[in-house]
Amino acid sequence: MASTACFVIVSKNDIPIYEAEVGSAPKKEDLAHQHQFILHAALDVVQDLAWTTNAMFLRSVDRFSDLVVSVYDSVVHTRFMLLHDPRSDDGIKSFFQEVHELYIKIFLNPLYLPGSRITSSHFDTKVRALARKYL
Amino acid sequence: MEDYPEELRMTPVSLVSIVGCPELHPSISAALSSQQPPMNTLALPDFSKASILARSGKARDPLAPPQAPAGILKKDWLLKHRTRVPAAVAALFRADQVSGDPAQWLQACSDLENLKSAIQGKNTKLVVVLVQAQASDELSEDVTVALRKRAEIDSRHMIVLVEQDETEWSRSLSKLKNVFAELCSAFYKEEGRRIKARIEKRNFSSVELSIRYCFKVAVYAEFRRDWPEALKFYEEGVRVLREMIGTSTRLPPTQRLVEIKAVAEQFHFKISTLLLHAGKVVEAILWFRKHIRSYERVVGTPEVAFLHWEWFSRQFLVFGELIETTAATVPDTLSPRFGTADNALTEWEFQPAYYYQLAATYLREKRYAIECSSSVANLTTEASGIPESVMPSVYVGQYVRLFEQGDTVSVLPLSDTEYTSYALSEAERFQDSYEIIALFRKAYESFQSLGATRMASACSRGMAIEYYAAGDFSNAKQLFDGVAGLYRQEGWTTLLWENLGYLRECSRKLNFPKDFISYSLEMAALPLFSGSGEENRENKIKSGPGGSPTISRRENIQQEVINVLKRKQAPDGTNDEFDNAMEETTHLDIDQISPLRMVLTASVAFHDQSVKPGSPLLISVSLLSHLPSPVVVDQLEVQFNQSDCNFVVHSAQEDSPPLDSNLHDQVVQATSLTLFTNKWMRLTREIKSGQSGKLECLSVKATINKHLVICCHAESPASMEDFPLWKFEDHVETLPTKDNVLAFSGQKLIQVEEPDAQVDLVLNSAGSALVGEIFIVPATILSKGHAVHSGELKINLVDAKGGGLLMSPREAEESESHDVELLGVSTVDGKELKEEVDSIRKIQYSFGVVSVPTLSEGDSWSCKLEIKWHRAKSVMLYVSLGYSLGSTEEEALLRLNVHRSLQIEGQIPLLVTHQLLRPFRREPLLLSEIRSLGGDDKKCSLAMNESNMFIVNARNCTEVPLRLHSMTIEPDDDGKQLCSVQQVSGISNGHAVIAPSEEYKGIFSVNPRASSSNFHLGDICLNWSRDSSLGEDQETHVIMKQRLPEEIKYSLVDSQNFVFSGAHNHAAFILPKSEHIVSHKLVPLGSGSQQLPRITITSVRYSAALTPSTSAATVFVYPSEPKFNLETSCSTSDECVS
Repeated sequence: MASTACFVIVSKNDIPIYEAEVGSAPKKEDLAHQHQFILHAALDVVQDLAWTTNAMFLRSVDRFSDLVVSVYDSVVHTRFMLLHDPRSDDGIKSFFQEVHELYIKIFLNPLYLPGSRITSSHFDTKVRALARKYL
Repeated sequence: MEDYPEELRMTPVSLVSIVGCPELHPSISAALSSQQPPMNTLALPDFSKASILARSGKARDPLAPPQAPAGILKKDWLLKHRTRVPAAVAALFRADQVSGDPAQWLQACSDLENLKSAIQGKNTKLVVVLVQAQASDELSEDVTVALRKRAEIDSRHMIVLVEQDETEWSRSLSKLKNVFAELCSAFYKEEGRRIKARIEKRNFSSVELSIRYCFKVAVYAEFRRDWPEALKFYEEGVRVLREMIGTSTRLPPTQRLVEIKAVAEQFHFKISTLLLHAGKVVEAILWFRKHIRSYERVVGTPEVAFLHWEWFSRQFLVFGELIETTAATVPDTLSPRFGTADNALTEWEFQPAYYYQLAATYLREKRYAIECSSSVANLTTEASGIPESVMPSVYVGQYVRLFEQGDTVSVLPLSDTEYTSYALSEAERFQDSYEIIALFRKAYESFQSLGATRMASACSRGMAIEYYAAGDFSNAKQLFDGVAGLYRQEGWTTLLWENLGYLRECSRKLNFPKDFISYSLEMAALPLFSGSGEENRENKIKSGPGGSPTISRRENIQQEVINVLKRKQAPDGTNDEFDNAMEETTHLDIDQISPLRMVLTASVAFHDQSVKPGSPLLISVSLLSHLPSPVVVDQLEVQFNQSDCNFVVHSAQEDSPPLDSNLHDQVVQATSLTLFTNKWMRLTREIKSGQSGKLECLSVKATINKHLVICCHAESPASMEDFPLWKFEDHVETLPTKDNVLAFSGQKLIQVEEPDAQVDLVLNSAGSALVGEIFIVPATILSKGHAVHSGELKINLVDAKGGGLLMSPREAEESESHDVELLGVSTVDGKELKEEVDSIRKIQYSFGVVSVPTLSEGDSWSCKLEIKWHRAKSVMLYVSLGYSLGSTEEEALLRLNVHRSLQIEGQIPLLVTHQLLRPFRREPLLLSEIRSLGGDDKKCSLAMNESNMFIVNARNCTEVPLRLHSMTIEPDDDGKQLCSVQQVSGISNGHAVIAPSEEYKGIFSVNPRASSSNFHLGDICLNWSRDSSLGEDQETHVIMKQRLPEEIKYSLVDSQNFVFSGAHNHAAFILPKSEHIVSHKLVPLGSGSQQLPRITITSVRYSAALTPSTSAATVFVYPSEPKFNLETSCSTSDECVS
């Protein structure tokens, strides 16, 4: 099934530090930056929502026509945002949790400066593999 | 929403009709409409108008075979039921009309018949109302019965209205109202049931009818205010309608879709309104979602896609407006946890702005679709042309062509092609841009007020793109600028890229070459995620004019800038429009917060922190650019706050540039000034420091391609911020300078020190000062190369132990008492600087300012500082000389300072002690009174009229020999009367020299002449000086009550072998290193080795006791021969002397 999904990691000061188009839908009309517009606009909601709950997985926080934004609040307010078609939470939650572990590994690297962009191809490959697995 | 007909927007209201008695109509209809629920009244003044009620019923021939319906819903059906089909009709007759004249009675009967025939075939109920003037005008029973019979109505539906009496009138009116309400309810229920039965029995020939029936049943339910039923049938209708899309073949596909959507829109509107008015906001939103989902993909053929998007956008707009109008009723009890299982909605879905924004977005889709369709249509439909006189048909969502042939007007159906071209021509007439902008603005303002800046900026961007599309570039640029600010701040580079692409084009269109260059450079310097957007090249419209963000595109953009600068015609000829607006050189200013910092950053570090004026110093200038291609800098100008230090570096490849000889810049040739991407270009230069004070590097101006001057504010490496956008995980952080220390602590400013003072200030001191004397510190100013002008000597005395002040704060309040005091300053030749009347001279206890006369080179001047110590204290003496090199004004500004300090100890010169020697005690026993007085060791008793020796010791505590001139006791008034003091031994030959730590003893004899329990002997006055220099009197206040040297007490214990004479307990004073003999006469009582009486000696001051050992106190007594034995015992030495 063709699906649309755009995954972004946003650092504490709202700067995206990793972005990936992980959907399998042909990208004809939905462009990367349009997804980013949606994700960026959703940050407004996330900001408010993150303080109201202890849960890391904030579920779907915003929708733009038929696309839903799900958010996972990771360490030090690093946010994972996923733009996707409406679907069940379970796969998304598992995806987030596994990416969270990957991110923690990056984060624990003493040479990694928190807030800098993640360009590791290893990370990228893993994230895409997880996306294929869960999304 | 305003486009919808009123009957659709308003809740249906029951309609009743009243016929006859027109004078009563206003009051009756007012009463009915004020009822709850209200009723509308169709008032017919007389019975001849009753045929109106019948008209619609005649349309159909009941015998004709059922035809397939031409449409789903008739446009006027709802209106008809609201305005023309009453649920009940009331025939009003005056009482006299029916009771009196038979002709009138006949008229009334025929009227009634007419009315009955008009409503025949319908369920419309009939009510007969008799109007009486008075309640007492009782009509005869048979008249009413006859009338009722005529009308064929129930007796309940025969109502008497009483006109004159107020209470009767209102009572009868309310009765009428009740009857009407009941009849209306029955009517609509019956109608509804009738049609519902058809649905249930599936008694219809086509699916269109099914939908129509659903609609009717729902509307009838609405008339009855049976909302759940209405909702149920509307929903059913929608369901059937949705299924119909694929199956119906009645109309050509495009028009079919248009009709279905139009009907769906009405259904949806009804449902939303019902839900929202019932306060079910969540259900309404969920329903809306469902509605949108089910029609989202039903676009139709590409030529008519614009119709779909227009319709789709309208759904959002109308729903947004509905939400907005019912916003007051949004329940607060909703779960605040959005997106959870119990609340699947997001926060925004409750905001109308969300829908407006989406409406605008889809309206934009429509614009794109029209653009596509128009271009295709222009080619194809030119021949056929746009069909004329197309108008909406009687069915909802259908269009027909009016065809006139002579007098007859017929309606012809349209083909899809005709319809498409008609719709296109209609759509092109509207300016969607303004609509889109208005929607975005509405959403923007709403989001802004909600504090959702990102949503607001997304709307703002929407507006900007619309303005851009509409050719209003200045508005677009302004909006884009605002949005770009947010994306810059938050580092969403892909979005920023797109934005900048628009901005670039705007400035190109507006002919702002400077903006064009700066936006282009910023774009070129943006970091991009590798690979993102690579595959999206085909869609130019959506990715904006900037193109897709790739490295090659960045390089292109940089090249474009260079082309513009070189005024080269770009291959596509787009750059020529700047020619008239381009200035000779374009200046870009980059400060620390400029987004162009990524383009060029200058870091400047001095290698030292401070430098002497005029001496050379090293400075490192480092430049960093994130532009993708190497940048060749023609000339680099480094500017300082002291313009003398400015220097220029020229690239060697450059042809030798014309030098401006007026500039005193230092010009340096460098081999190559090329900036490679992400690499620091470092230059280290030696410059000559300027005047003393702060030397700060202000800016670095880089000239690129001769016409672009980028002026970067210089940044210190120590305080340089990193580039938030250019922080990459694998990006090695490079330092602006090779020297690590400099990279972390380098500063762009340096302190140029004052020139060295070439004047010496010498302070001499003769060791430590003695308390009481005037201590002189000579200060000498020696010019060794500088002339001293308007010199000033500042003297400051500070407690060496810290604390600054030379007295405690409390003492300072009381003033006067200063431990150390600056008495004055005198020049060496003795004159008190009298010639300089205007010169500053101010001496205060611990602070003094003295002006120094003008000294030429090689001269010297000295003065003496007179300081007096009142107490032994260690003091820091600070002397500073401030002077200027000349007397002219600018020279006077530059003052040089020489500082010297000296620590001086204050010492007490002589330590004075005293003691009294009294004559032997004559009495063998002391009075107990004296003994008790002896406890007070501060006092000492002297024998009257006896000469007592008084010894005064003066001990030199200093390291220098002192000369004692005199030592006297000056008795005060008391002392003169009571006793006489005579000096026994004086100072021979003028003075006595006391070497350090030696002692001088003066002996006086004191002869008390009267008995007094308490008197002052007087003061001891010592007159001393340093052995070499002059001293002054020092007074020591001595009081006789002072402590005595040493007091011992002793006690004797009786022994059984001896009898002795003398006191058992006694006290005595013993001088150090002296003996005191205690004598007792003992008479032994037995012979042999005997124990003497035990003596115990106690030192009072130290409470130390001494008991001689038993052997020392044992004596052998011979039996008879010696008559008696005198023993001297116990030679006491001073036990413990400290």
